[in-house]
Amino acid sequence: MSLVKILEIALRTGRVTRRYPVEEPLLTSEFRGSIEVDPSKCWGCGACTKVCPPNALTLAPSGKGLVLEYFVGRCVFCGMCAEVCPAKAITVTKKFELASANLRDLRSRVVHEVARCSFCGAPIAAEAELGAVVKATPVAEEYATLCPRCRKGRFARSVALRMGVGGGPS
Amino acid sequence: MDLVRALKAIRRSIWVYHLNSGSCNACDIEVLDALTPYFDVERFGIKLVGSPRHADVVLFTGPVTRESLPKVVRALKAMPRPRLLLVLGSCGVGGGIWWDTYATTGGFSKLEEILREQGVEVDRVVYVPGCPVRPEAIIYGVLVLLGLAEQKVREVEVHAPGG
Repeated sequence: MSLVKILEIALRTGRVTRRYPVEEPLLTSEFRGSIEVDPSKCWGCGACTKVCPPNALTLAPSGKGLVLEYFVGRCVFCGMCAEVCPAKAITVTKKFELASANLRDLRSRVVHEVARCSFCGAPIAAEAELGAVVKATPVAEEYATLCPRCRKGRFARSVALRMGVGGGPS
Repeated sequence: MDLVRALKAIRRSIWVYHLNSGSCNACDIEVLDALTPYFDVERFGIKLVGSPRHADVVLFTGPVTRESLPKVVRALKAMPRPRLLLVLGSCGVGGGIWWDTYATTGGFSKLEEILREQGVEVDRVVYVPGCPVRPEAIIYGVLVLLGLAEQKVREVEVHAPGG
């Protein structure tokens, strides 16, 4: 191709370069960036951590309480957490300027209060989740505040009493 | 070696070397995309070179597979000081979906320990998450690496209001 022809094509096409740091970035409506967890809506149920392919979202107890941690450095931006969240607390934002000089800055945490069993004191779930469950389903309050083990024990004892076996082990 | 002076000297045009440690090629395609006339990083003087010996910055992609580990160490050893690294993609930063498999070392944080054991020092690292990273995110990462742009992300810890 002759230089004249190349020049002609170049003049016809004009400038195609996006001047990114000065101009707006090219973000389509389908683009998925980092996620944001709304702490006022989040229950701390951990549905997002179960569905997250690279375990970027983790729910683990710590000294402060039940901690939902989001490590954006491992996130694959699939958006499944936002889809599966029962409380609609997770939103997919269009943030992509996530460059950081250390890994610590790539973590964000939501700390939940831990609800404890009213009988034996073992941790059950996040306070917020318990509140949401009681509101959504007609579970008796006394059962809702029990840990699964105590609940089983109490149920077994009531069945045994009904069958006339006696008290049984608590 | 006067490292501080060397880091200041990096204000000239930077030459980058692209090091793939077993990535899926998505990040590599985005690196090429950043070099095309559409995003055109040559307007900042950023140029792709074919050898780590010529490079100021290494564009590091992939979760560091066991097969690539000795080659990665050799390539980084060949780099002149100051060694600047731009770790691209979720694989490089945190291991991605391969963060705990037997076949990878699981991202740059583990590789950094191996490098330290072997006496290879890395002077400055900037992590750029994304799966794959956008060409704009790569440009922004370079700006953060050179200290021309402010880092936007910060560690956040919020307490949820109880039930």
